[in-house]
Amino acid sequence: MTNRRSFLTGAGVTMLGASLVSKAGAATLPEAPVHSSAATAAPLAPPSGRPYNPVVTLNGWTLPWRMKDGVKEFHLVAEPVVRELAPGMQANLWGYNGQSPGPTIEVVEGDRVRIFVTNKLPEHTSVHWHGQLLPCGMDGVTGLTQPGIQPGKTFVYEFVARHAGTFMYHPHADEMQQMAMGMMGFWVTHPKNPRQHAVDRDYVMLLSSYDIEPGSYTPRTNTMLDFNLWTINSRVFPGLDPMVARLGDKVRIRVGNLTMTNHPIHLHGHRFEVAGTDGGWVPKSARWPEVTTDVAVGQMRAIEFVADAPGDWAFHCHKSHHTMNAMGHDVPTLIGVDHRGVAEKINKLVPGYMVMGDKGGSMGDMKMPLPANTLPMMSGDGPFGNLEMGGMFTVLKVREGLARGDYRDPGWYRHPAGSVAREWTGDVPAPTSAPDARPAPAPAGQALDARKPGAKDGGGHHHH
Amino acid sequence: MPTPRMYRGALATAATLLLAGCASTNPDTALHASAGQARALAGVEPRLLRNDDDRRALAAEIDDLVRQPLSLDAAVRIAILNHPGLQAQYWDAGIAQADLAQASRLRNPSFGFSRMSGGGSVEIERGVSLDLAGLLTMPLRQRMAARRHEQATLQVAAAIERHAIATRRAWIEAVAAGQALDYARQVAAAADASSELMERMTLAGNASALDLARESSFHAEAGAAVLRAARARDAARERLTRQLGLWGAQAGYILPERLPDLPAQAVALSGIERLAIERRLDVRAARADAAGTAADLGLTRTTRMVNVLDLGYASKSETGEARSEGYEVSLELPLFDWGGARVARAEGLYMQALGRVAETAVNARSEARAGYLGYRASHDVARHYRDHVIPLRKKIAEETLLRYNGMLASPFELLADAREQAAAVHAAIEALKDFWLAEADLEAALGGRLPPSPSATHVHAHEHKEAQ
Ligand SMILES: [Cu+2]
Repeated sequence: MTNRRSFLTGAGVTMLGASLVSKAGAATLPEAPVHSSAATAAPLAPPSGRPYNPVVTLNGWTLPWRMKDGVKEFHLVAEPVVRELAPGMQANLWGYNGQSPGPTIEVVEGDRVRIFVTNKLPEHTSVHWHGQLLPCGMDGVTGLTQPGIQPGKTFVYEFVARHAGTFMYHPHADEMQQMAMGMMGFWVTHPKNPRQHAVDRDYVMLLSSYDIEPGSYTPRTNTMLDFNLWTINSRVFPGLDPMVARLGDKVRIRVGNLTMTNHPIHLHGHRFEVAGTDGGWVPKSARWPEVTTDVAVGQMRAIEFVADAPGDWAFHCHKSHHTMNAMGHDVPTLIGVDHRGVAEKINKLVPGYMVMGDKGGSMGDMKMPLPANTLPMMSGDGPFGNLEMGGMFTVLKVREGLARGDYRDPGWYRHPAGSVAREWTGDVPAPTSAPDARPAPAPAGQALDARKPGAKDGGGHHHH
Repeated sequence: MPTPRMYRGALATAATLLLAGCASTNPDTALHASAGQARALAGVEPRLLRNDDDRRALAAEIDDLVRQPLSLDAAVRIAILNHPGLQAQYWDAGIAQADLAQASRLRNPSFGFSRMSGGGSVEIERGVSLDLAGLLTMPLRQRMAARRHEQATLQVAAAIERHAIATRRAWIEAVAAGQALDYARQVAAAADASSELMERMTLAGNASALDLARESSFHAEAGAAVLRAARARDAARERLTRQLGLWGAQAGYILPERLPDLPAQAVALSGIERLAIERRLDVRAARADAAGTAADLGLTRTTRMVNVLDLGYASKSETGEARSEGYEVSLELPLFDWGGARVARAEGLYMQALGRVAETAVNARSEARAGYLGYRASHDVARHYRDHVIPLRKKIAEETLLRYNGMLASPFELLADAREQAAAVHAAIEALKDFWLAEADLEAALGGRLPPSPSATHVHAHEHKEAQ
């Protein structure tokens, strides 16, 4: 079953089995599968239990379960993992079952769920089932509703998934460190009736952020706001897979935000409706159309739209720093700074120095050597050149005639003739100025005249 | 009373001494005795400038040496051959030589003749006198003079050694001061680029007057540092010029841009205290001094009763009288002064000299140990800079540039790093300078050049290569 699941990636879900848990417990514990590939796994069609329409975790996977006496049993293992954020950069994170974020858990409304949680971290942990309505003692808040799960120990949570909706799980023990290290996962409770809210493609993603110093591997967990890597499912562009849809498909994208700031998620080419919030499904009459929806901290949003516009459509957080990878937030602005003469001086002192930033931040196709394990601030090649994007950015690819369940990257969109912006080669009329146009600012390098207020004519002095 | 036979014998002895020529009066020969020391210490044989030809030859040699960057060895060579103070001192060797020669010679016999007339009588007196006491005490005086000569030789050699070491130090300081000036200029260049970039930033509207003033003030201070470094460089150079005794066009010599590289390994020495005791001139001089005072003491003891002994041959003739011949002796009567005080004084001087020998030896041992420890330690420090600090600074520079590439760091950070790099290089140069100074100190403490290290390239062979 697990091998079939990973047909998209050709990669690895492996059964960890008895080596992971104690022999004594092995008989009663379900297996804890591990996933090591960062590619998007195909949706997991439910092999047992009630039927539902499975979701696709972008660059992630869904956790298999076993049915035991009518209860869905999952086994999560909290452990250190190495996550590839994008090709060329790996991060030392904490996650579940081999990855951060942990596998998506999918259940059906009314399912009785039993989740075993084994702690392989060096400190105690717990799991809080964010958004679930459950017995208080199952809420996973260390100290408040349970003792911490000590390293090497396994706890079991059991409750009924009462409401269909979009949820998350994450520790409520040393939360600041553990979440900064990537401990989180998605949870979807499907409606009992698979036709209710049915969509053709249902993508899920968690937003998280990390502060990994260029050249290092482990996030600085004490950073509060100045993160340098804004991730979707602990991946950054160009490491994110595209979201693929067949023309005319009804598409749902569920977004959970576990960063420390809000993210206005923006989709090009389509209007969507916010169909679900943390509290559940929004009645049809209450939904409103948007092209950007803000997902606040700790919130979840499900947006739905009909993929009726073929093409390659950008999908991203609209905070422009969040569509960048690691960058120097203290670097001064060099736009418009004349480097003539200075550049030579600097070059004498710093061999290998090249002027950058004087015309803006775009580095075009410059491929400069970077510190180890560091992604370019912006990169990713498109059909027309460099996308100059990073972080929370991916592409919705809408194509005609895809098969149902085909999530493979269809390649770049082939635009119909005459439908791409192009250079104007005709006449350009002379610009006209408004009559009250202010004088143009002095060009760089030119002396500015300053006059003391109240000084007599000619009493001004020159500054350089 | 000496008989005529006796004094004939004494004359023969004196003649033998003269002919033996053990005490030449040629000052070149005299300097030659010191030269052996100088060669061991500085690899240069001093010579006297006796006339304009000598001076012209030396000037030509110096012209050759200053045509290229002045190496350490060339500097020492010029200093020893050319320094006027040393030249003056070289004549000391000649003077001592002459003194020794003098001590080996009898005072010339004197011939006296007097003719007196008065009252019709003429009295003619003839006399030949010979310094008999001088003849008798000659071996003693000669021994004394020989020791004094040895002392003078040692003193000249010591002067050469001091001058050679001081010249080496001055050369090291002057070259290092040149490098320090380069460093200061590099820092100023980084500051210059920084402030100019900031000025452009201000003109483009991207930086404030405060930012600009900060960068400019750093630049201004870096400029002051350059002026100070240039002053220090000039002073160090002038100190060297004085050591070399150069002036005029020859004072326009150029120096190498860099100090010689650190030798691969410090010279491993055992028995440094023994080496110092054997070779150090101050120890040898103290010994010679003690030996000299011992001789003085012996002489004083021997002659305390016969302070001045004049032996003369007298021939007297008077008109109309038979010629009378004879000799006369004058003897100081030890009536009031038995010479005891003089002996006591000489004994005191001798004991004092012995004390100085002991002190000099103790100091020499300690200085040898300290010099060696300083030499090894400064080698460790310089090697640490070369092998660890500088490569790390390079690594930092590379990594900073990588960060700049990724727009993770600004050009100002690159320039600040360039300044810090220059500071590290400056510290490394200081460490290298300290090493070469410590080597000079060690050689001074050991009274000679270091023996070659069995496990490494010979330090000086390496140095020659570097400096030329
Ligand atoms: Cu964002």
